[in-house]
Amino acid sequence: MAAASSSDSEGDRAESSEASSKWLDAHYDPMANIHTFSACLVLADLHGDGEYKLAVGDLGPSGRQPCLKVLKGPTVLAESALPALPAAAAAFLMGQHEPRTPALALASGPCVYVYKNLRPYFKFSLPQLPPNPLEQDLWNQAKEDQIDHLTLKEMLEGIREKAEVPLSVQSLRFLQLELSEMEAFVNQHKSKPIKRQAVITTMTTLKKNMADEDAMSCLVLGTENKELLVLDPEAFTILAKMSLPGVPVFLEVSGQFDVAFRLAAACRNGNIYILRRDCKRPKYCIELSTQPVGLVLAHKVLVVGSTQDNLHGFTHKGKRLWTVHMPAAILTMNLLEQRSRGLQAVMAGLANGEVRIYHDKALLNVIRTPDAVTSLCFGRYGREDNTLIVTTRGGGLIIKILKRTAVFAEGAGEVGPPPAQAMKLNVPRKTRLYVDQTLREREAGTAMHRTFQTDLYLLRLRAARAYVRALESSLNPVSATAREPLKLHAVVQGLGPTFKLTLHLQNTSTARPILGLLVCFLYNEVLYALPRAFFKVPLLVPGLNYPLETFVESLSDKGISDIIKVQPAQACGK
Amino acid sequence: MAEETLASLSVFFSPICSSHFVPWKLDAPFLSLPLRTQFSASAESQKPQLKKAPEFPILEKQNWLIHLHYIRKDYEACKAVIKEQLQETQGLCEYAIYVQALIFRLEGNIQESLELFQTCAVLSPQCADNLKQVARSLFLLGKHKAAIEVYSEAAKLNQKDWEICHNLGVCYIYLKQFNKAQDQLHNALHLNRHDLTYIMLGKIHLLEGDLDKAIEIYKKAVEFSPENTELLTTLGLLYLQLGIYQKAFEHLGNALTYDPTNYKAILAAGSMMQTHGDFDVALTKYRVVACAVPESPPLWNNIGMCFFGKKKYVAAISCLKRANYLAPFDWKILYNLGLVHLTMQQYASAFHFLSAAINFQPKMGELYMLLAVALTNLEDIENAKRAYAEAVRLDKCNPLVNLNYAVLLYNQGEKRAALTQYQEMEKKVNLLKDSSSLEFDSEMVEMAQKLGAALQVGEALVWTKPVKDPKSKHRSSSGSKAASVPQPLGSNQALGQAMSSAAAYRKLPSGAGGTSQLTKPPSLPLEPEPTEEAHPTEASAQIREK
Repeated sequence: MAAASSSDSEGDRAESSEASSKWLDAHYDPMANIHTFSACLVLADLHGDGEYKLAVGDLGPSGRQPCLKVLKGPTVLAESALPALPAAAAAFLMGQHEPRTPALALASGPCVYVYKNLRPYFKFSLPQLPPNPLEQDLWNQAKEDQIDHLTLKEMLEGIREKAEVPLSVQSLRFLQLELSEMEAFVNQHKSKPIKRQAVITTMTTLKKNMADEDAMSCLVLGTENKELLVLDPEAFTILAKMSLPGVPVFLEVSGQFDVAFRLAAACRNGNIYILRRDCKRPKYCIELSTQPVGLVLAHKVLVVGSTQDNLHGFTHKGKRLWTVHMPAAILTMNLLEQRSRGLQAVMAGLANGEVRIYHDKALLNVIRTPDAVTSLCFGRYGREDNTLIVTTRGGGLIIKILKRTAVFAEGAGEVGPPPAQAMKLNVPRKTRLYVDQTLREREAGTAMHRTFQTDLYLLRLRAARAYVRALESSLNPVSATAREPLKLHAVVQGLGPTFKLTLHLQNTSTARPILGLLVCFLYNEVLYALPRAFFKVPLLVPGLNYPLETFVESLSDKGISDIIKVQPAQACGK
Repeated sequence: MAEETLASLSVFFSPICSSHFVPWKLDAPFLSLPLRTQFSASAESQKPQLKKAPEFPILEKQNWLIHLHYIRKDYEACKAVIKEQLQETQGLCEYAIYVQALIFRLEGNIQESLELFQTCAVLSPQCADNLKQVARSLFLLGKHKAAIEVYSEAAKLNQKDWEICHNLGVCYIYLKQFNKAQDQLHNALHLNRHDLTYIMLGKIHLLEGDLDKAIEIYKKAVEFSPENTELLTTLGLLYLQLGIYQKAFEHLGNALTYDPTNYKAILAAGSMMQTHGDFDVALTKYRVVACAVPESPPLWNNIGMCFFGKKKYVAAISCLKRANYLAPFDWKILYNLGLVHLTMQQYASAFHFLSAAINFQPKMGELYMLLAVALTNLEDIENAKRAYAEAVRLDKCNPLVNLNYAVLLYNQGEKRAALTQYQEMEKKVNLLKDSSSLEFDSEMVEMAQKLGAALQVGEALVWTKPVKDPKSKHRSSSGSKAASVPQPLGSNQALGQAMSSAAAYRKLPSGAGGTSQLTKPPSLPLEPEPTEEAHPTEASAQIREK
């Protein structure tokens, strides 16, 4: 084991000498088949035997086979299917009595499933939300057939437009129906009470009345209907209810419920709200202007990762302290707590496979993993105090142990000038030939200049002559008057004896349309026959290209060709 | 009884998937808790009805999962969940549609995203967020007026949202209604302060050409968020533009402390170092940029002028030619190329670069002057005179132009015309002395004195200020070079005023106010007036005449 780890760490050293000195590679299984989020990883002494296990709320390979996995060391100890995808997992002590075995809570859909000793123990469901009274009234009337379907629909739509309380699924479904389906729907559902059910989005724990590590904790739930609930650990009653302006995604808690506590909730609207005991509404608000991807409370500093690849540090009053830019997108974040040294640091798992560890804004350590990091967890595992659990995008599981001698020192990360500063500038080299040419130019610059000027004049002269020749021979059609700027261009298609002649006419004036234009063909009647030698052109809108087609039949069988002249002309007599 | 209660419980409370629930029942019964009775009572009463109608799925069941996938930028997984969710809820899940629209927008399908956001707005008309996103999509489609309407609608629903105010402000900027834009942006700042709002507000002032106000705004912004490198760099550049070099360097240096690879800041700071002759330090800094943005024309221009300053002319030409290759229509690079070629006595090449520069920038006297110098050396005196005439016509304050013209005229024997130009020069020198405390190039002063003597106007009193020793080694070396050439009167004139490489990348005042300023890779706005050459020269080209 020792030999293996040392050789591993040597391999690691090639990658980053910094990382190898701090971590032992305990286990790496790229095919562990664990697909989860940091919120669903829990390290806890689930059996009360001092051997800490890893509980994983696994989404399954395609997010379809949710299950609860319990790992001991590198092996899966137990696996049981879950009824729905787990949103969060937490371990907490339910009561004071011995043995002090923590229970495992898994939030999923509208319920929290509580396991004790890895056995199902209790299921808590969120209470139903109160339905809209108006909506309730309407359905009651429908039940007694006092209201026809169309009125019902109209009234429900009215409620949807204005009401604070959203409609139930039943009503929303009803609004989607065609007239013919309404009857059946109402008959089927009218007797049912309308229901609105909230869903749990996130969960964390909060110590009840003591700060000890093995003290009772309450579960704190964040729900889809923008509420935070604090549950009693023994009776599972709702101790406190707080409302937020957004749907909570991540929660961070400090303090004790009965004494004083602070709750930070990162919400889907991109804001982080900070609540305190005895206030139903948020006390402070941090507006990020991007979405938060992680929230960690370390040494009273609230560290937030944003979708713009930044880590921000905030005080508990919402004042921004610092910002650090990450080299890649942040996928997940978690707390690293080394209790023996009193260190709390933030781990950020990045899309480029790095795990970066920060204490405030100082980079302490970078761990490189073979794949993008999807979840992180640090704590006691087995009998080892400081273990890092990393899962990667492909379902891999990495377990690393922090060496007991390891000390995280600030400034171990990137300092000094950026490495690019030491690189040589790529200045293009000049050849011997270039130097020779330079010398020649110095000697005979004047002559060169004169030759060039002469040639330039000659070139201009030739260009002008060619232009005049083109004008004279009318090779390039030009409009005779400036009043009708026209562009004409002809294409002949076919192999003969019948050809297709397409004329492209374009009015190049900026605003004036051209009216009453005629086109006539001048050709040798012995050689060619055209259906019409003369036709009118429709109004030409400026800028548009008008393709006009006509057929040409070659009459001669001797292969003689001649020129067909096309002459647009303004109709006279106007 | 306990068993049956549980069964009903599981049906009632787990509408998601009741069949999976069996192990719960088998493994261990739930503890008897105060809640239980309440559950079972309600469950029992509804049991018969439940069997009749199918249960509706919870619409928001997987919103959290969609959101987590979305913020982790795992869009494929996100779309899969959205699809599943929409199928299950028959398209009623608003959040799924919302995120789908966000993804569409990120993928560039703005029109589709707009339609989906509109669907969301229909599903929940009271939600300001949906309207905000509709407006955002309209904004991205360039329909600023429509976006403003929708934002105003959203503002009615949510009065206290800085984002709405901010975005309204940005829309007004695009519609060139700066007053309204300012109002909205100030509103946004009032609600909540964000760096972005400051940047936009500063941009308005820049668009209006009000540098001082822009600086005020950026100062406040830096106070509010002292580590934002973009703010620091912009403020530094603005100070640079106003010629407040100390502050400019301070802010640029701060920006580099927080982000040592900041392209804009390095380029600006480097150009300032160049102005002070610290070519080696500047080159070291440029290495970082060369690694990050190897195809930047201003970078290669500045590197080229660093080499020029270090008298490595071949390297300078190589770099400038690369810059010219990357930005063939940039007259400043062409100007520098012309200058370097004049120094290398490659007058024919210099002529080409300078005439190309004039084609792009026909309003600059110095360019014509350099062209005239090249022409003089190519023995095309007629055209040289015409170029000088144009230079004198365009230039308002550079005495060199007149001096050089006077020398040419003197050498051609046109003493009277030379005298006129000499007097013109004296006027400009007096003007410059009054307005600023700059020093004149020693070589130029020497030449002027010689010419003055030759024209018998006496030792002109204009150069009362003792000319200090040139700061850079380079200049003294160029002086020594001048001395090495045998010089009958007028044969060796101080001439081309080489612009410092930094100054060579200044922007025109019109450019400084352009909309593109914040987005473009920065050329360095140094001084407001490009014609006011307020810097001591660093290099000088020389004319050798017969």
